[in-house]
Amino acid sequence: MTFPISRRRFGGALAASSAMVAAPAVLRAQSGPINVGSLTPNTGGGGPFGPNITAAHKLVVDMINEQAGGILGREVALHQEDSETNPETAIRAARKLVDVNQVIGVLGTWSSSVTLGIMPLCQEAGVIQMCTSSSSDIPLQDKKGLVFNFQALSPIWGEAIGNLAVRRGFESYAVMALNNDFTISMVDSFVDVVKGAGFEVVNEPFYYNGDQSSYRAEVEQLIADDQAAVFIPSYVTDFTAVYKEIFRSGYEGQVISVSISTGQLFKDAVGAAANGILHGLPVPPIESQAYKNYLQLVGLEDNGQVQHPFGTAGFDQMSVLLMATELAGSDDALVIKNKIREVTNGDGTEVIDPVTGLEAIRAGEKVNYSGASSSVEFEADSGKIAGRDFMLWEIVDGQDEIIESIAG
Amino acid sequence: MSAYLISIATFTGFFMMLALALNLQWGVTGMVNFGIAGFYGVGAYTSGLLSAKVGLPSEVTILVAPVVAAGLGACLAFLSLRLRDDFLAIVTLGFGEFVRLILLNEDQITNGPRGLPIPDRPLAGLFDRGDYALFYLALVAFFVILSYLIVERLRKAPYGRVLRAIREDDVVASVLGKHVLRFRVQVFALGSAIMGLAGALYAHYAQNVSPDVFTPMVAIFIWMSVIVGGAGNNRGLLIGAGVVMAILEGSRFLGDAVTFISAPDLSALRIIVIGLVLILMIRFRPEGLVPEPKFKASDA
Repeated sequence: MTFPISRRRFGGALAASSAMVAAPAVLRAQSGPINVGSLTPNTGGGGPFGPNITAAHKLVVDMINEQAGGILGREVALHQEDSETNPETAIRAARKLVDVNQVIGVLGTWSSSVTLGIMPLCQEAGVIQMCTSSSSDIPLQDKKGLVFNFQALSPIWGEAIGNLAVRRGFESYAVMALNNDFTISMVDSFVDVVKGAGFEVVNEPFYYNGDQSSYRAEVEQLIADDQAAVFIPSYVTDFTAVYKEIFRSGYEGQVISVSISTGQLFKDAVGAAANGILHGLPVPPIESQAYKNYLQLVGLEDNGQVQHPFGTAGFDQMSVLLMATELAGSDDALVIKNKIREVTNGDGTEVIDPVTGLEAIRAGEKVNYSGASSSVEFEADSGKIAGRDFMLWEIVDGQDEIIESIAG
Repeated sequence: MSAYLISIATFTGFFMMLALALNLQWGVTGMVNFGIAGFYGVGAYTSGLLSAKVGLPSEVTILVAPVVAAGLGACLAFLSLRLRDDFLAIVTLGFGEFVRLILLNEDQITNGPRGLPIPDRPLAGLFDRGDYALFYLALVAFFVILSYLIVERLRKAPYGRVLRAIREDDVVASVLGKHVLRFRVQVFALGSAIMGLAGALYAHYAQNVSPDVFTPMVAIFIWMSVIVGGAGNNRGLLIGAGVVMAILEGSRFLGDAVTFISAPDLSALRIIVIGLVLILMIRFRPEGLVPEPKFKASDA
């Protein structure tokens, strides 16, 4: 069966599709809201975390529109896109957010390659970026001070985990990691810490590629000298396969990794074999009122465990951006970026949710936002977060048991 | 809005160049190439590295990229001496992954997974910021037209008749005294050069490339462009590339219109729609939107 496409019919289709593209611009001109963009990894490598961030962004926007009457008397319009955890797709999505939706900020990028990939266009357009990406290259490439990172950079992870390993007294280590911008600087700082304590890293740390069908060769190389401990920063998909290989090999030393690799997916996949693994992650301050408030808003039970490590950051990103916008009295990103530290770092009244924060700002008070993901303090000369709590766990009977909590 | 349309048109230009190259290789000559992302990546990184690390002007490096890609394409095409169809598909797919893994692991040279920032842009000094996007679109459009004219001229020439003969039955072509391998190597090298050029243009447009960009997904979009547009027909696949981009990008605007679907669901739905279009297309119109023109004596 075929049906010919005439030039006229093709022209009609073209007109219809252009009309579809043009429609939102018309709507926008009439209502004049404040536009914010959310670009999260809803599919691909960040798929387990993206939807939480998306939902948190929407939650804050809805709260502010319904309970605080919007920002600067205008409605806040949220535009959400999926980065597919892929920088090429992310660039097109970010172009749409910046050029069509005229957003003041692109929030929620997760993988460093996406954050870095969209950075040239955001810098050029003068748009704020808020992310949870750990690559040390991010502050180096942010020439205009537009990027605010809600995640601790990966050297901090390496240091915290290295210190734990040292205190546990393992004397020799082997290190391998997923080849990823997130792990490279983590490995360097881990190695520095354990060597500084007088211990030994036996191998030359090496990097493996994700999506392999087998990791046997890598694991055999890793455990060849049978060291007391191995450190493997990774993502959950590859770590599950790597760990099965380690378990099968009968290695009896200590396995150390990062908590994003050892979540419930991992525990379900390997069962009792998971017991004994040490892992760590920058965490929300789980004792804090801000974190408990977040759990309540998203309808989660407070079980004393870390939940939504990235959703909490999404909540803070949107809250900070919108409060700073209100304080700036303008929807110009270049003005807003200078107000962000006034919202997060100041010596004002502590606020934990954006609605109360906005009331205080409107009353002319100074505020200091403490978030669900951290106390949210940015360094003076860069968009790096100054301190995040870090938590270290051991898996005991299939559950994470807290060993140590380091205040940020 | 217009800035967005300019940027999407620019992206469509990259797709069109890749599709024209694939059509020359596969649509006309019958050489399956799943390694498009590899040649695209080689072009992007050749120009990017020469510009960002060696310090050559991007006006020069963009023109070096297709030469390097053509060289690699020619080497790969020598394999086609004994490999046909399915086997060539596997080899080229392997080549694409091989390139991506080298880009990922040779991080002393390529910066590996951290990505390569490329500050230099061709002729950036001549335009102010607002006009530059338009200039770049014009630049890409120029290369699309140039590629189109080259591949269309080849297709219509007696040379193209030999290529079609090779596609239909290479034994017959060689019995008729045509040096099949030489034609294949030439065509593959030329196609690879166009892909490399597209990669170089992409690199200086995005100004930050990382190995994640050059996944087999790129090849799938380009195959889709050629299949939707009509294999063997260069005009058709320009439309095909436009249609693929319209689906990829147009579906973004569904989010603004269809508010009852949540953002994560919508992102999954977009990918389903793309697959569905491809299946429907192959089921109901396998020859594409604009089929390959019937060969006429006057074309010779």
